[in-house]
Amino acid sequence: MNSTVSYQEALDNYQANHELPLPEAELSMDELLKQFHPDHYQDSLTTLEIGPNKGGRCHRQLADVLQADALIDEADLAAANVTETDILVIGGGGAGAAAALTAARKGARVILATKLRLGDSNTIMAEGGIQASVDREDSPQAHYQDTMKAGHYQSDRDLVAEMALDGPDVIRWLIQQGMNFDLNEFGDLMTRRPGGATADRVVYYRDYTGLEMMRVLREAVRNCRNITVVDNAPALELLGNESGHCAGAVFYSTTKHLFSIIKAQQVIMATGGIGRMHLNNFPTTNHFGATGDGLVMAYRLGAKLRELDSFQYHPTTVAYPEHLSGSLITEGVRSSGVYLLNAYGERFVDELKPRDQVSAAILRECQEGRGIRVSDQQAGVWLDTPGMELREPGLLEKRFPKLFHMAGRADIDPRTTPMLVYPGLHYQNGGVMIDKFGKTTVPGLYCVGELSGGIHGRNRIMGNALLEIISFGRRAGEDAANYVHGRGHKKTSIEHVSNIRREIVKAGLSMRKKSPLLFPKCAGFVLENEKY
Amino acid sequence: MQPLNQILLSEKARIGADFERYIENGGGQGLQKAFVDPSGIINIIEESGLRGLGGSGFPTHVKWAAVAEQDMLERTVKDKYLICNGNEDEPGTFKDIVLLEETPHQVIEGALITALACNINRIVFYINPDQQNSIDVITQAVGQWEGSELFVKLAETMGQPVKMQVLASSGHYIGGEETAAIETVEGKFPFPRGRPPYPAEFGVYGCPTLVNNVETISNVSHIIKNGAVWYQDLGLGEASGTKLFSLSGDVLSPGIYELPMGTTLEELIFEYGGGMLQGKEFKAVFTGGPSNTLLTKRDLDVPLDFESVKARRSSLGTGAMIVVSEGSGIVKKVSEYVNFFAHSSCGQCPPCKTGTYYIAMLLDKIDTGQGRQADLEQLINLCEILPGSGRCALIDGAVKVLDSSLYHFMGEYAQALKD
Amino acid sequence: MIESPKDTQVEVTINGKKIVAPASLSAIQAVWHAGYSRVEGVGCLEGVCGSCSVMVRRQDDKEVNTELGCQTFIEEGMEIIFLGFPTPTHQTYQLADIQTSWDVQGQFHQIFPEAGNCRACGGCNRSCPKGIEVENGVRLATKGKFREAGDLFVECVMCNLCMTNCPERIAPNHVGLFSRRVNAYFHIRPSNLINRLEQIRQGKLTVNKI
Repeated sequence: MNSTVSYQEALDNYQANHELPLPEAELSMDELLKQFHPDHYQDSLTTLEIGPNKGGRCHRQLADVLQADALIDEADLAAANVTETDILVIGGGGAGAAAALTAARKGARVILATKLRLGDSNTIMAEGGIQASVDREDSPQAHYQDTMKAGHYQSDRDLVAEMALDGPDVIRWLIQQGMNFDLNEFGDLMTRRPGGATADRVVYYRDYTGLEMMRVLREAVRNCRNITVVDNAPALELLGNESGHCAGAVFYSTTKHLFSIIKAQQVIMATGGIGRMHLNNFPTTNHFGATGDGLVMAYRLGAKLRELDSFQYHPTTVAYPEHLSGSLITEGVRSSGVYLLNAYGERFVDELKPRDQVSAAILRECQEGRGIRVSDQQAGVWLDTPGMELREPGLLEKRFPKLFHMAGRADIDPRTTPMLVYPGLHYQNGGVMIDKFGKTTVPGLYCVGELSGGIHGRNRIMGNALLEIISFGRRAGEDAANYVHGRGHKKTSIEHVSNIRREIVKAGLSMRKKSPLLFPKCAGFVLENEKY
Repeated sequence: MQPLNQILLSEKARIGADFERYIENGGGQGLQKAFVDPSGIINIIEESGLRGLGGSGFPTHVKWAAVAEQDMLERTVKDKYLICNGNEDEPGTFKDIVLLEETPHQVIEGALITALACNINRIVFYINPDQQNSIDVITQAVGQWEGSELFVKLAETMGQPVKMQVLASSGHYIGGEETAAIETVEGKFPFPRGRPPYPAEFGVYGCPTLVNNVETISNVSHIIKNGAVWYQDLGLGEASGTKLFSLSGDVLSPGIYELPMGTTLEELIFEYGGGMLQGKEFKAVFTGGPSNTLLTKRDLDVPLDFESVKARRSSLGTGAMIVVSEGSGIVKKVSEYVNFFAHSSCGQCPPCKTGTYYIAMLLDKIDTGQGRQADLEQLINLCEILPGSGRCALIDGAVKVLDSSLYHFMGEYAQALKD
Repeated sequence: MIESPKDTQVEVTINGKKIVAPASLSAIQAVWHAGYSRVEGVGCLEGVCGSCSVMVRRQDDKEVNTELGCQTFIEEGMEIIFLGFPTPTHQTYQLADIQTSWDVQGQFHQIFPEAGNCRACGGCNRSCPKGIEVENGVRLATKGKFREAGDLFVECVMCNLCMTNCPERIAPNHVGLFSRRVNAYFHIRPSNLINRLEQIRQGKLTVNKI
């Protein structure tokens, strides 16, 4: 960090502002990203040497896990308990819940297995809201175009179009599950603008949209007779059948210390993101379980992935105090008009540009000496909440209770003191390739939610993630439920693991690393099989 | 052998609501004597060494004095209350019901003498609603007293009428706690109150209130009639009086045994209780209603009186002795009792209600073979943190019995684990 | 580095183990800091998932409180115990089984019959780590005031501490969630959304994949 201004000094010089002008952009968007966005860091990329994406670009740390050895052998499965069902959903966040509910209501028997508890996810932490083109002046077409543009036109057109058209019905479906949204005095959905969009399109519930959504979905899942929830059961490996069709998965119970096998006719994976891998040493907004397990398992079974070199860094995560490092402050705060200021109290970027640009701009300020320094390793810029309070008193507290709660833990009142923010690893733009039903290139395997790729291109807009999980979760659940009436699999195995091992050896890669990671290193987890 | 069922459970006493016979058999003489010198009653009780027989073992005269000494001048309401506590809901305790149902007049006479000693004008017989017989009998007996000459003389001596009331309690276990009983008398849910203020100062509707157990009260008329020394001599060693022991569990003849205070545990079980069931070895005793520490094999020789049992780091409590033989598992029994406490917790204090929820859940897990080392450690940790955290002693009692069982029978717990 | 009083080292006892760690850490962070493994009762680490309930006793204090482990800063002499997530409550229901909004109150008493037995012990309020007026919420729901009841539970993270604390087995947090859900299910009918749905249904809005 080259910042010259210390936290205390910057705080002393800080003044809350009414209106402030925006400076001229010095660099073009492409230049800004190329010079400062972590996706372009020279030494963080590599080329995959094994698997379906062999020869493709991939982030180095992600390549490490994709090309690592498995955690288990066939021998470990000897005494494992076996359960059979129609549809296995792996992942207890919004996408998994939506998939399970949809499939179960079509009559399928569903087992939903989750690494932690049902609801422990990135979904529950989401604050900003969910996109749906409901305003009169807005349209699915505009939604489609904004998404394509923000993603730098790298997205799969079909997927984006389907999702944009799904938007309004997704909201209706969520309301039918019992989810509340903020309404205006006429009972209409309130909307706000996500960075990079041409219309106000995000519908929300305070800054608790994720909590409200997950709370409701979790209750609906628990009350659904056709869904059995298996908690505290991280998946270690998928099962394949004799023709390469996905046939279920192997699980480990962190409470009983035993392996178990769940066989299913169709598998829907919704294992979420990769934040806890701390790519490029960035702090993360993600929940404890976000270690990219699903990517590894899908890749091993032969699923093609995409955009493995593109990750979203959320511009405003807390940089000080340290114990709150990485905590998310919603983009909604910027949508309401809050500025970003450098150490000299100057604005330096249009706060409502897409996230990759805003993050790159913040990184630029910090690297070029205009950031605010808290230590040799940590710097940041101001999120000018007191300025907002001057312009519209009371708005912050009403709309962003979660922000207040969090700031309170740091003994900061956002109405009088600005928060120090810095980009944090937030979202995986790419992932497993899917079609409009969520189907991967592996028959019998669906991937939905953050795990899947192709919707966001190289940069996601706020609100499209919550939309994606419900839109595609429902699609996968609906589609998978059509294929549960066969005779089941003749033979299931983890033979594909052996194939991967052969590839690793032939490519001269290390067999010492193991994946999926399951838990962040700080948690000190050790896989112990107590067989009896 | 010690003399059995001498005083409170003598044949002369067990005549039900028959006032005439009661007087014929010598009843009422205690009250007569009390009329002579009301201000000296408390001294006699002090000399006798009477202690609370409903679980506390607290010196009775101290409680009485606290109420008797209350300054009534400044108060607008001039009432004082005696709650005769027959809530009896502890597992393994079933003595008060016998006294209420079979010797109602003994109880009532004791209450009247207590009222005279402390200048109490309102007596409430507070009885578990599951004991409808007791309620009926006491109600009948109260009516008989109200029509008697003795009752008129009482009013004259006190200078004010005494009002007696029979009240069914809520049926909640927690209603046995003093301040919870007061809440019920006031028509409310039996939530224990925080102390201070103490009931002697601020009880029913703010009036000075004395809460005494049925058995304690039952002794009063005998003490006044026969004298403090007589009562002292009834007990063995330093102890005074007799005690109704509720014996249950793995014995041949469970039941109530009135025996001198200081009778040993061995005598109670083997000479009166018929010995161990099916000849199995003695293992342990849950004392006093299971909110206490256990007594084990090496305690068979303990004299059953307050001080001697205390010296063995346990408590006489209500005198309930729940016997466990080698054929019975301690873990299961403790689990049963902790579940009882979890169910009975009134809900006011999270460490008690949620605390008992968790220790009950962990015990169930271990008892059904699903427990692991981590669960046992969790139990031990909870025993560390919970005592003293509630408004009343329920959580303390639950932890005490668990803690004691872990101390004496850790091997059984360890064996029940999966790992 | 900015020095903060929260960086001083303190000694605490967590799950029976003595740990020394900086005072700026939460209970969960302290466990990891000391090198112990912990993967249960950990979730979002920011106070919205309800997975990390703990019992806390502060030094020289008789009181034991129930809090969220990720939101509790350690203090000298603190004793902390992690509570496992309790088994879910017994009441179940389907929103779709409630025919009309006229039937909600009647159905509520079938689904949550215990709610009418609330003995006003206040234990749910005291056990709530978010300071929600839980008991009041149950009272309002019992009277059919679901909107008001639901509004009290905005911040509820469904940790189920009030559920374990209820002597009448009411499951107050689920009553609160029910209240919130029926409000949305029956009463949220935004005209902008409905209008948009109708347009899409009629095929008036399509996406040209340019």
